Amino acid sequence: MYELKSVHKRYGLSKVALRKIDLTVRDREFLVIYGPAGAGKSTILNILAGIARPTSGDVLRDGESIMHVPPEKRDAAMAFENYALYSHISVGENLAFPLHARGMNRADIDQRVKRISGILGIGHLLDRRPGFLSGGQRQRVALGRAIIRPADIYLLDEPVGHLDAKLRHKIRAELKALAEDLSATVVFTTTSSREALALGDRVAVLNSGRIEQIGTPADLYHRPANAFVASFVGDPPMSFISVEPRRGGDRVAFVTPDGMPVAALATDAVAGLRDEPGSTIQVGFRSNEVRLAEAGDPGTLRGRVDVIENLGYVKIALVGIGSDQVSVSFPTGKRLSVGETVAIAFPRDAVHLFQNARAIAHAAPSA
Amino acid sequence: MASIRAEKLVKRYGAVKAVHGIDFEIADGEFVAILGPSGCGKSSTMRMIAGLEPISEGAIYFDGKRINDVRARDRNVAMSFESYALYPTISIYENIAFPLRAAGMDNAEIDRRVRDIAGKMELTALLSQKPQGLSSGQAQRVGLARALVRKPAVFLLDEPISHLDTRQRYRMRRFIKSLHQEFNYTMIYVTHDQEEALALADRVMVMSDGEIQQMATPDEVYARPRNAFVAGFVGEPPINFVDCYVENGTGGWTVSFEGQRLALPERLSKAAERIGGEGLAAIRPHFLSLGDTSPLTLQGKVFVTEELQDQNLIFVDVGGTRFTLVAHPTVTPRRCETVTVSIDPEHLLLFPRSEARKFEDLAA
Repeated sequence: MYELKSVHKRYGLSKVALRKIDLTVRDREFLVIYGPAGAGKSTILNILAGIARPTSGDVLRDGESIMHVPPEKRDAAMAFENYALYSHISVGENLAFPLHARGMNRADIDQRVKRISGILGIGHLLDRRPGFLSGGQRQRVALGRAIIRPADIYLLDEPVGHLDAKLRHKIRAELKALAEDLSATVVFTTTSSREALALGDRVAVLNSGRIEQIGTPADLYHRPANAFVASFVGDPPMSFISVEPRRGGDRVAFVTPDGMPVAALATDAVAGLRDEPGSTIQVGFRSNEVRLAEAGDPGTLRGRVDVIENLGYVKIALVGIGSDQVSVSFPTGKRLSVGETVAIAFPRDAVHLFQNARAIAHAAPSA
Repeated sequence: MASIRAEKLVKRYGAVKAVHGIDFEIADGEFVAILGPSGCGKSSTMRMIAGLEPISEGAIYFDGKRINDVRARDRNVAMSFESYALYPTISIYENIAFPLRAAGMDNAEIDRRVRDIAGKMELTALLSQKPQGLSSGQAQRVGLARALVRKPAVFLLDEPISHLDTRQRYRMRRFIKSLHQEFNYTMIYVTHDQEEALALADRVMVMSDGEIQQMATPDEVYARPRNAFVAGFVGEPPINFVDCYVENGTGGWTVSFEGQRLALPERLSKAAERIGGEGLAAIRPHFLSLGDTSPLTLQGKVFVTEELQDQNLIFVDVGGTRFTLVAHPTVTPRRCETVTVSIDPEHLLLFPRSEARKFEDLAA
């Protein structure tokens, strides 16, 4: 188990990369650090590897500080975002390097190089030098060099970010299976929501050097702690409509500023809602939790189609409602045009409620 | 704004041919995505349109006028590069204002436009900074803002949002699309990302090996790919391919793969006739399901399951072929579990085996 305790990291005088974060990496878990560019993801890996030193705070392994332990003594296998391959030796030798360094015999080395290069689809490149490879090929060599040896912890910095979609898809599955087979402890960074949800036993959402939320993919997707996580996890991102509460009996209705009803929730379910004039209250929902209404659907919102996106298997309409814009998915066969007015059918309980960007309630989507 | 036509367009770098004599037309105000893997010729094509590379053979016309010999700066083409070369010594504000100052615009108008575009790109807080401290995503947005600020006749975007996170990608994509709807620029968007191409473009030009593989609407390239390359490159998760054998029996055409045989729907008889023997069957992950629900089923072993929350991706090994299928989030088979995979024959596609090479190359 690795722990970052109140780790603060500043580069130079003013650039703060991490703001007093606490983070635990459990044994044998696949932990994904997911955040926008510049959030501090690589800094966390560098600190775990011992390449970077926290400005303040402590780094522990199984309860003991490892702040004084140099990188070469940490048994962390790292794949760098910028590859950092040895350019003067072949791909095969790059892959074999960490095994030679541990004194493994030739036959075992060859067998491992063969297996890993096969999984990553670089078996035919073993005799080439890194300089003659494409970016995607180099990235796979860098990943291979990290995962080829047993290690206490694997630190993978956006290791598939430069691959085309097809390869990313294939290697993601291989990596997940491999980590399960080896019961490896992995910390993996990404800027892709899909990758984070697909791979992580747990996902830490990082934003401007702070952890916004850490939990299982289901936690983040169904119970986001705040509007940032809600809009950042899920593909396409969650939509929001600004609403005002109307209390009545055992229910609270939420209506748009124009008075259109969006949702109605049991008073108990929204106990966290404070009566605070001037606060921003938003209903959030995902594009697949709502649909375009048909005649006779009760409780619909009307809006204008601003943009239509084709995702191949489904289309997404961006519908303007007041000053908000919401995503609604619809089948590719349906005809719809930009500028058209549409009605959106809302399962009234399938919503997330936020006050001043903090989550107040999450209602489970009904079937 | 301008229409664009290319005639037998060739690009050679020494002995290497990057673009192999392609023809295409782009209507005034149309949004075309050029989609393909690295080295397919998409960037060379764009650079010839922009005037950054001489045309080796053939011609390009803007509104019917041959522009082979028109200098880049006289084409009124704006570009945003993947390598967003920003000027390091001046502020973000001045970087964005640069093309406007070069055009001699007055300060008040420059200020209005820079602040407008910076607001849309979420760059307002960074305007006084220099490029040095920017993240790659921020630098990319500045590059895009600088290209957009001058309102060009043809707007070329070269992988402008490839480094952004999921949320920013959606935001930028929608911004670019609404920009096109609002101003009706003729836009060409070069990308290796099929999702961006489908989501943004009126038509997609799929390129590989310096040739156009298909140029059609997003619906067309997705549902009716002209060859195995297009089928394999377009779609997320990627389409499943399996070697098959096509033959004509007493009851009409059949296809067999992984030990199973199926009568082909009428729709595929033409393709079957053309292939008549070794073929390549393809089926999208959305048209596979677990269980015995179709006349065509395969037995396989679960390799791994990815729970994406809104859907599950299940990887199943059938013989030597790994299939991906998209399932409801409640379907969660265990690893190594034996399962039955049903294939919806209505969505089966067939290609000649000889096309297999083209998508295998992608892995190289």
